[in-house]
Amino acid sequence: MYGWIWRKLPGPFAVKLATAVVLALGIVALLMFVVFPWLEPRLWFNEVSVQ
Amino acid sequence: MPPPGSTEETVIFEPVGGGTATEERPPPRELGKGGVAIRTVGELLITAGLVVLLFMVYEVYVTDLFSAGKQSEASSELDGEWGKDRQLHPELVDGKAFARIHIPVFGADFNFTIQEGTTEAALEVGPGHYKGTALPGEPGNFAVAGHRVGKGAPFNDLDNLSSCDQIVIETQTDFYIYKVLPYKDEVEGWAEGKGAQPKCKNVGTLRNPNAADGGPYGETNGRRIVFPTKGDTVNPVPYKDPDILPKADQVSLLTLTTCHPQFSAKERLIIHAVLAQQVPKNQVGSYAELLPKISEAR
Repeated sequence: MYGWIWRKLPGPFAVKLATAVVLALGIVALLMFVVFPWLEPRLWFNEVSVQ
Repeated sequence: MPPPGSTEETVIFEPVGGGTATEERPPPRELGKGGVAIRTVGELLITAGLVVLLFMVYEVYVTDLFSAGKQSEASSELDGEWGKDRQLHPELVDGKAFARIHIPVFGADFNFTIQEGTTEAALEVGPGHYKGTALPGEPGNFAVAGHRVGKGAPFNDLDNLSSCDQIVIETQTDFYIYKVLPYKDEVEGWAEGKGAQPKCKNVGTLRNPNAADGGPYGETNGRRIVFPTKGDTVNPVPYKDPDILPKADQVSLLTLTTCHPQFSAKERLIIHAVLAQQVPKNQVGSYAELLPKISEAR
């Protein structure tokens, strides 16, 4: 999978590397700012109150 | 860096390839379809593991950053509100701060605003007041929940509190100084034991010596670990029927709840404290002024 993505990236090595880093950071940002905040309230281990 | 236009084979051996073939070796045989499938599954599993790790980092550190912003916003908003007209009773709006908690043993700068309600959104800002429970200083049970991990983790160190430690609740008009009640193993012989220390002034066991079970407050200790379903923890008289005592006979309690053990939600850590002193703000203007005075009493 990663090999395939690497081969699909255009340009010389430096450009590929830069693109890969940007892609990875983009995915991390997507997880941190969109996916995790959405997911978190649906999980159980954040409850601190009694009911 | 290989020159542009190098063969594809060289490119495959760049370390991004998923961890295989990092050492110089003769090129491995072409993977068959099965091999590629297995490798892909492996890569996906590693990716999933990394995502879970990242989620942990998010929970423990990144939510702290988000909450710190919300907390400081709520704090300055509260200061602005208190700067305006004096109100006898705080206006309770869901998710909005109406009081502030200080715990001197956690440091002079330990303070968080207390929001109305215990919804996830309110708790992201800071500790939240259980709706319908007493207000600061009132007879009954002023109950507050807070996060222990992430989200600013206001109640991270609740397990480090000992009996008689002070918890100061600041409202627009007053400071209410609560003190943690004796722990279960300290109840016996409290009056002659730790209870005799000056820092434990105004802290009793709340037990009725004539009742075998200790009376209405027989189960109210400084610290308890309970199951999350134990909703009567925040009752006016903890763990008892809401009507067991008329309001006039109720003690002014403060109850803090958080998750237990740390990083788990299996149980709840409960701290019960009793109102020991009330200091109006027209006598002592700020917490910075109050702190040295109540430190001497310790």
